[in-house]
Amino acid sequence: MLKLLSMVAAVIVWGLLSLTLPPEIFPGPIETARTLWGEVVGGQVWTDLAMTMLRVVGGLVIALMLGVPVGVLMGLSRRAEGILDVWVMIGLTVPSLCYAIMAFMWFGLNEGAAIIAIAVTAAPSITINIWEGVKNVDTRLVAMARVFEASRPAIVRRVLMPQIFPYVMASARFGLGIIWKITVLVELIGRPNGVGFKLFYWYQLADMRQVLAWTLLFTIIMLLIELLILKPIERRIFAWRPQVAV
Amino acid sequence: MNSVIEVASLRKSFTGRDGTSRAVLKDLDLQVGAGEFLCILGPSGCGKSTLLNVLAGLDKVYEGQARVSGGRVGYLFQEPRLLPWLTAEGNLDFALDSCKVEPSRRSELKSRYLAMTGLSDYRDYYPHQISGGMAQRLALVRALCVEPGILLMDEPFSGLDEITARRIRSDLLSIWEETRKTIVFVTHNAYEACFLADRILVMLGGAFRQEVRVPIARPRSYDDPAVFQLSRDVIKAFGDEIDREPAPSAIPLTEPSLVDDLDRHAAARMNI
Repeated sequence: MLKLLSMVAAVIVWGLLSLTLPPEIFPGPIETARTLWGEVVGGQVWTDLAMTMLRVVGGLVIALMLGVPVGVLMGLSRRAEGILDVWVMIGLTVPSLCYAIMAFMWFGLNEGAAIIAIAVTAAPSITINIWEGVKNVDTRLVAMARVFEASRPAIVRRVLMPQIFPYVMASARFGLGIIWKITVLVELIGRPNGVGFKLFYWYQLADMRQVLAWTLLFTIIMLLIELLILKPIERRIFAWRPQVAV
Repeated sequence: MNSVIEVASLRKSFTGRDGTSRAVLKDLDLQVGAGEFLCILGPSGCGKSTLLNVLAGLDKVYEGQARVSGGRVGYLFQEPRLLPWLTAEGNLDFALDSCKVEPSRRSELKSRYLAMTGLSDYRDYYPHQISGGMAQRLALVRALCVEPGILLMDEPFSGLDEITARRIRSDLLSIWEETRKTIVFVTHNAYEACFLADRILVMLGGAFRQEVRVPIARPRSYDDPAVFQLSRDVIKAFGDEIDREPAPSAIPLTEPSLVDDLDRHAAARMNI
């Protein structure tokens, strides 16, 4: 309920602010929504949206496949931590634009290169999350499991994984936040479709109505994914957790 | 009396950061008979948890002999150490699965020990939904339901409030009288030791100082003046030394198996 109210308030503020500038430079919410509706009805939106989603999901999956094992390794082994932590820092520091340029230069202007650039940008922050998580594993529970003669695979599956999983979930979410932004950037510099491409296209035509309409569309899709997919998954998996009342 | 635990010339030392080694267990000899309730009484840092870790097989680096026979070992930690994502029953199932207890016997074992500890109605509760005392009871059920021949207990009630601890101690005694498991119970609480044990070994600086037989008849009552009298004598005889026990100077290197001792050292400092 509060969420809804704050969103309504934000739309009102947007509306009021837009009055200070001419509508072709800063269109209000109604006008933006109308433009967006025109695009949706026109049917062009879906291809671009689908391409963006494909890159986002592909990038996330590959980023997790890279980031989770490296993070687990770093959490478990001091040696791996010593060797890899500087690389994670470097990976984190290099701007995503550099990854995108390198990927397109080396692998060509294709879908694979775009997804690689997205995954490589997001992987270091996923690694850091998992690394911290594995370091926080409660070794006292492992000792408990050993006393009860649990086998090594059983300890990994029933004692370690449940402790690491919340961090995987958190880093997937965190990674997704980063990936949305990189995807748009990658599309802008190297793809002939997608939300980022559209944004840049309308920017070159100096059509602020369209720019804001696409931004709005993107935001709505993001919110829907968060509220309809991620939150319910999280609620289901972490039902055992105590409710924190402050 | 046939011994189920036999320890001979057990030695163990930790190496400090500066390379000096500190003996934590000095030539310990110990026999525990089947069905005996033994308490090891000593101050923080005297090596009693280390001894227990050796007996439990958690710590395999030592010199001398430590042989435990007479069946599976159950262990009750100072904290409940329940898996927070499993319900009470899920935690019991974890232990039963790990110990490969026959599936046909599981439900009977669970019901029996849950009933003994008054937790029958809490099967579906998660650990965070029950009190600290109940969580420790559940940990006791978990240790019992895998049918150990020997139960090792590491200050299991020291984290609880006194009223709760008292009730669980009495429950433990009645369970013990019914099942007659061999119990090795480590504590720094002289009264607790006198109330529970057949025999008390006072441990100081990694060695046993004295053996005290507890002549009090069973079933015992917590307010029995004889318990009070005996605990006063024990404290009188060893209290001074317990107080003078120097704080451990070398903190052992961090190894996973030493976590308990580190906790103990931290606790020792806070007590002072």
